Amino acid sequence: MANTDTVLIVGAGPGGMEAARTVAELGKKVLLVEAQAEIGGTPYASYATLTPDLQETEAAMGHIVRGIRHNPSIDLRVNTRVVKSEGDIGAFHVTLENPDATQTVVEVGAVVIATGFQHFDPGRETQMYGYYEYDDVITLVDAEAMFKQGKIIRPSTGQAPDSVAFIQCVGSRDRQIGNKYCSKVCCGIASKQSIEIKRMLPNAKVFIFYIDMRMYGFWEDQIYWKAQEEYKVNYVRGIVTEVIRRGGKLLIKGEDTTMGRPVEVLMDLVILSVGMEPSKGTVQMSKIFSVPREEHGFLQTVGGPLDTVSTPVPGIFVAGAAAGPKDIEDTVSMGGAAAAKAVGALNRLALEV
Amino acid sequence: MQKAKAIELEIAVVDGVELNGTWNRMFEPRVISEYDLSVLEEITNIPGAESLGYCYQCGKCTAVCPVDSVGDYSPRKIFRRTQLGISLLDSPDLWLCTTCRNCLRVCPKEVNMIDIMPAVREQAVLEGKAPAELLTAFENTARYGNPIGESARKRADWTKTAGVPVPVMSQKKAPVDVLWFVECYPAYHPRGKEASAALARIFAALGVDFGILGTEEKCAGDSQRMAGERGLFEMLAEHNIKMLSKYRFNEIVVTDPHAYNAFLHEYPKLGGEWPVRHYTQFLAEKLAGVNFVKGIKKRITFHDPCYLGRHNGEYEAPRSLLRALPDVELVEMGHCKQTSYCCGGGGGGMWLDGFTRDYASERLSERRVKEAVEYGAEILAVSCPYEVPRFEDAVKSTGHDGQIQVMDIAELMAYCMGLNEGLAIS
Repeated sequence: MANTDTVLIVGAGPGGMEAARTVAELGKKVLLVEAQAEIGGTPYASYATLTPDLQETEAAMGHIVRGIRHNPSIDLRVNTRVVKSEGDIGAFHVTLENPDATQTVVEVGAVVIATGFQHFDPGRETQMYGYYEYDDVITLVDAEAMFKQGKIIRPSTGQAPDSVAFIQCVGSRDRQIGNKYCSKVCCGIASKQSIEIKRMLPNAKVFIFYIDMRMYGFWEDQIYWKAQEEYKVNYVRGIVTEVIRRGGKLLIKGEDTTMGRPVEVLMDLVILSVGMEPSKGTVQMSKIFSVPREEHGFLQTVGGPLDTVSTPVPGIFVAGAAAGPKDIEDTVSMGGAAAAKAVGALNRLALEV
Repeated sequence: MQKAKAIELEIAVVDGVELNGTWNRMFEPRVISEYDLSVLEEITNIPGAESLGYCYQCGKCTAVCPVDSVGDYSPRKIFRRTQLGISLLDSPDLWLCTTCRNCLRVCPKEVNMIDIMPAVREQAVLEGKAPAELLTAFENTARYGNPIGESARKRADWTKTAGVPVPVMSQKKAPVDVLWFVECYPAYHPRGKEASAALARIFAALGVDFGILGTEEKCAGDSQRMAGERGLFEMLAEHNIKMLSKYRFNEIVVTDPHAYNAFLHEYPKLGGEWPVRHYTQFLAEKLAGVNFVKGIKKRITFHDPCYLGRHNGEYEAPRSLLRALPDVELVEMGHCKQTSYCCGGGGGGMWLDGFTRDYASERLSERRVKEAVEYGAEILAVSCPYEVPRFEDAVKSTGHDGQIQVMDIAELMAYCMGLNEGLAIS
């Protein structure tokens, strides 16, 4: 007997939530499993505002989160991990585990994996930009944590910075690190954050050191032009190679490539635009559901640009950054597409039975 | 700042009219009207130079390139200039790289100048485009077995001043534990010979069973290889391998990090494979048995040789020796270990000082000496035979004579062991 009414969705971030809503709207039951205590995923947990529109995350996503919690068709299990899966489309027997190690086996017809990404850890490479050495070298994520408290400060002094430098492509586009891909969103997030810093500190000098600005589509004028024209953010082509402490400040060393000259400038605060890597959950789900990872380490899909959500395993779909670096827009689109394909697969199965 | 360049001739005759000074002023054309892509194709088609075409212009290399800090050169710029149609084969850029490997350390695309430089230089040498002074060093090496042009017969003469027996393998006629490969500058340069004598005395005091090849030794050739003379390198390697193969020993100990690199990575490809250690690695292991009888109450800093550190990952052995010397205060310069600056001698730089002078605001060795002084060092300790002469010249030319001394670690160690009374530590 095939199970043709339940879709398991792993991960309740923007992609998983959208998949859950869509499956429910299409009339199937949803089992939504989230390893964390809170749903909403990485943006909801770590970002004060969203890119590109600078909406406060709570205002933008709060109603979606509450809608998921109150949707009668969605069986939400937080603090729950998927630890095992057996069977095929129409009859996946999936073992769930609670923090107290209690295990339950559920039967579902199809699966959407939406386990997302994790931020690149600059400490993984030897003293990369001195992130673990200098208090005033922080990441985009650390900056968001400050924005949530309505401030941006130099951690070493507690004072507002007079000068801030963003360094792009940290952990991305780097053969030596093994991450050969662009993480897509960091150019936009750095630009968004530079606007927020200038709103709080209009007199601060803010620089973004970049290799190429990847501001595709509307992000170009919505954040890039806006940052430069309205907020006087300074974009310098050429990446920073090293950060060294000099006096109480940080000396950034790099090249201004359009001028062809070395740069050695003192900064108060350095923000590393860390990229995306597959999350631990994404790596685990690859093993549990036997979905191969593509060459960059993310979950493999089969249709190239024409099918972004089907994996090589029938009945298992993927949404969002589990399949590669994604912004929220693409993640949510994939959530809907994965849900539609999952429900379609179950409907076909019901007809065959 | 790059500005349009005005060209004024003293006198220019236009249609029979003499125009002078500002009246004939013209500007160099600045518009790029063509990208001659065949040049980039030609360069990246040279086996070994493929990765030049991978550059995506991030500029990370520029900030750590020692040559760019004194001039206008970096791997990123080389790619752009080549893309523009300026051939590396004809450009002075080709001879400025010291193969220090700092760019490769930070390059996200793994553009590998350590492969590119010798490959393209080899082509340039074949086309007769190498600077004259480099060719002189090559010719000396081919003729005398050393780039300095000293007599091959005098290669073991330094041993007379060692004060201890330095067995030469051809006379000893017995196996030894350690075959000491001395190299050229330690055998011929006055300051190199002093360090060699000190090392011989340390070996004797520690009861090391060692021997040297003496006049049977020729230059290991690694820098000639990096400078574009692979053929010469192979000739030297074959000779040295043949000589070494005549004798029985357990390991090779080298004075020169460039020889270390050759024995570690290149000689095995040509059939010469022996365990090899740099002398600092060899001595670091013997530290427990060393009897120090006096100290050096000085602040010492250490310059990492590119070919011991970045190329082969050894940062600790020389430091453990310096830390063991009584009373020494070891200070690190800002550029140290992986980020160490370069003395300018590697990759043929040792024989290109006249050539590079026209393209650099100062020598790399001068910049390094200034850094050592900035960090308050009274002694700049080194462990590569290129460095004592280079840094001593730089101490003088930067006006720091009497303020900082340059010493090989072997000299300092022998001094503290009471084996180097002649060493004047001021």
